[in-house]
Amino acid sequence: MAPTCKRRVSGKALANGSVGVIYQVFENVAEKYDVMNDSMSLGIHRVWKDILVHKMNPSPGTLLVDVAGGTGDIAFRFLNYVRSVRERQLQQKLRHHQNLSWQEISKSYQEEKSNPLGDSQVVVCDINKEMLKAGKKRAQHLGYSEGLSWVLGNAEELPFDDDKFDVYTIAFGIRNVTRIDLALQEAYRVLKPGGRFLCLEFSHVSNPLLSRLYDLYSFQVIPVLGEVIAGDWKSYQYLVESIRRFPPQEELKAMIEDAGFLKVDYQNLNSGIVAIHSGFKL
Amino acid sequence: MLRGCGRGAAAVLRGAAGSRGASGQERGPEPGRPLEPSLLRFLVCPLSKRPLRYEESTNELINEELGIAYPIIDGIPNMIPEAARTTRKRPPAEGSEQP
Repeated sequence: MAPTCKRRVSGKALANGSVGVIYQVFENVAEKYDVMNDSMSLGIHRVWKDILVHKMNPSPGTLLVDVAGGTGDIAFRFLNYVRSVRERQLQQKLRHHQNLSWQEISKSYQEEKSNPLGDSQVVVCDINKEMLKAGKKRAQHLGYSEGLSWVLGNAEELPFDDDKFDVYTIAFGIRNVTRIDLALQEAYRVLKPGGRFLCLEFSHVSNPLLSRLYDLYSFQVIPVLGEVIAGDWKSYQYLVESIRRFPPQEELKAMIEDAGFLKVDYQNLNSGIVAIHSGFKL
Repeated sequence: MLRGCGRGAAAVLRGAAGSRGASGQERGPEPGRPLEPSLLRFLVCPLSKRPLRYEESTNELINEELGIAYPIIDGIPNMIPEAARTTRKRPPAEGSEQP
């Protein structure tokens, strides 16, 4: 395991939840982020993220901004999705054209090769340099290059112009934002009219039995995993506590509506352990 | 890898109406160019939301009006206002050295 330089964060500082402290937490977790996600959620976080992108159902040409998307999970899934949609589009086109000349067929294949994403683009924005660096490295490793950009920015003060993006996603990031209302306002601002807001985040379990089991798992198992895998109990205890403090489904829905979004709705996954909130700028 | 991106991005930029003024300048895809060219299409100053100018010599994105510059590190633009203002503060007069 590579030697890491980690600063121990005091429990009291974590409880105050200041921005600088949260930053340090993610500096600590950045390297082990993906491994921890798999361990803590038993790999289920991958399914949640798959569901988010399927719900988005992006068509080629979509412009996505993925906020707090540090290590690129959503961005990569988005790129895979639009690539396969585009492939299918081109295949359909071929199938529906009878009596194509060999020239026309090869032109179609060339089209696919020169523009496999159909001009789709994703901008990954995160406040944490370590997370972005880890994401960029992962992208290189997995072979993602086209249609992908990385920006260091603050969700409360996005460095993007108004009415720019078709979709805004924030997956497991909004609970770490100090002023959620500001982040939602910024989300509204940078979306095009007709654009969609999608938020994937831990939420509240109403079923009392499940809630107790979930609490047990969260407070007894997760920090232990954090210590064993990342050598950092406190950061993972912080994560668990931040989940508990986060507004439940209806409250978040109201906040999203306050920012101006319409047709706001949410979908519970795993009985509310996680929820996807969706809204439109109309 | 970057060259391929440059080509695609150049096409995108040509297609876009190019109304953003300050940021959409000459496009010569040089190998080893640190900033993803297509990003300039989206980026503005997080404080004023006004367009930025890419300064190649210092590899920064400059907001002329406010006299601040955002650094680009490893191809990733750092658009956090706090970081930019304190480390790269320049008086607005200096920004008049236009190419």
